[in-house]
Amino acid sequence: MEHVINANKITIGYGKDEPVITEVDMAIKPHEFVFITGKSGSGKSTILKSLYGELSPFSGSLNVCGVDIKNISTSNLNLLRRYLGIVFQDYRLINEWSVEKNVMLPLMIGGFSKGVSLKQAHKLLKHVNLLHKADKYPMELSGGEQQRVAMARALAHNPVMILADEPTGNLDEYSSELIWDLLKNARDHLGTTVVVVTHHIPPTLGIDYKHYFLESGVLYEVS
Amino acid sequence: MKSLKNHISVIIPLFVLLFSIQFTFSIKNIVEGYELKLIEEYSIVIVSQKPLEESVIKNKVAGVRSLTPISSKNILDRLKKDLSSQNLALLKVSLPNFYSVKLDRLPSEEELERITKNFKSINSITKVETFVKTHTKVYKMFHFIQVLSYMFAGLILIISVLLIFKQMKIWLLEHQERMSIMTLFGAPFWMKSIFLYKLGLIDSFISSLLVSLLFWYVPKRDDFVNFLHSLGVEVYSFEIFKDTLTLLGISVVFSLFIVTLVISKLNNR
Repeated sequence: MEHVINANKITIGYGKDEPVITEVDMAIKPHEFVFITGKSGSGKSTILKSLYGELSPFSGSLNVCGVDIKNISTSNLNLLRRYLGIVFQDYRLINEWSVEKNVMLPLMIGGFSKGVSLKQAHKLLKHVNLLHKADKYPMELSGGEQQRVAMARALAHNPVMILADEPTGNLDEYSSELIWDLLKNARDHLGTTVVVVTHHIPPTLGIDYKHYFLESGVLYEVS
Repeated sequence: MKSLKNHISVIIPLFVLLFSIQFTFSIKNIVEGYELKLIEEYSIVIVSQKPLEESVIKNKVAGVRSLTPISSKNILDRLKKDLSSQNLALLKVSLPNFYSVKLDRLPSEEELERITKNFKSINSITKVETFVKTHTKVYKMFHFIQVLSYMFAGLILIISVLLIFKQMKIWLLEHQERMSIMTLFGAPFWMKSIFLYKLGLIDSFISSLLVSLLFWYVPKRDDFVNFLHSLGVEVYSFEIFKDTLTLLGISVVFSLFIVTLVISKLNNR
């Protein structure tokens, strides 16, 4: 597969008459680290939503992991999502579930046994320094801690691609560095493709990356 | 704590629903028992010039359970002092045949009129005494109790169904977020809905057990039995296995139906 994401003149929005993104082209190769930046409300999250199939493009073609998102069936969309690790801006943790159960979610969906899932969840929680809060509930954690749980959940099943929406938006410097290290690690050691939507790229990242900039619904590749 | 709250919020409406159903069954049984008692106490007296055959009467008059001859001996015994034995013998020969008629069930006024008319259509029958005044009073009282009890049971049933639907709306709100998050991670349908099905099944079991225990225990209480006996009503006995299984079946079907409805609504959102 040459491109893990291949968007060709896609227009996306929340209603036919309200396109947020117009005729966007994007090509992302496997193992690439990609940033999509832009002002608030420029449509960064909208692009990300189309990549995991929450929004379908009105026009153009969008291919993710070799699957046509525009004409995808529900069962195939479910299958595709099992290969993705998604970090949401609002974390989207299940409040009735403990932290460890939240992290176990993609593993259980992937068919792993409870024991294997729990072991992997603990490993990830250790990476994000939250193992001691494994049995707590999301509402008992701070915003930053919830963000780290969301990151652990996204990485738990070693996804083909991570789609992260402002993954360090609510974190302090220490936690932010931890998250960037985890993402770099996933790319370098597991070959995961990483797509991050953010306001700004950390200056001390120290890796090669691709940068798209979004303005007025148009996506520019920054060289 | 949250899990307990989740269960209680399902158990309560299910309990009320099952209670109303079992209450309706019990009332039906009590009312049927009461009707049997009334019908045992009620009989029509007919006077015929010729002896009557029960099978013939049953064919001609619908609703007749039995036809029993009333002996004229008592009447003649009372007249022994006032009449000579010769006159008594003459009277015995000329006396018509008296019969007591028992019916299948307590008839309405219209049914009673029809039965009387049918009896009178038989040539040999000269008199039909239905004790209509007593009958009408008893029948109206019985009908009133029956209607009142069914209305009460129906009202509870409506309230419990409304409670269940209210609970369904709460479920929709409570589980919408969890199911949408699971959908975003590619969870299959069964995995998203298994929690609600489990909840429905466990709570069906608990609520049917609670209702069964209640309906099994109450008729065993002396004060309750004495109260019903004072009303002339037989106590309805709860068959623990049969009735519990019936209640369990009803509650499982109902809760699975509601859960499926909730899940299909969530899936369409």
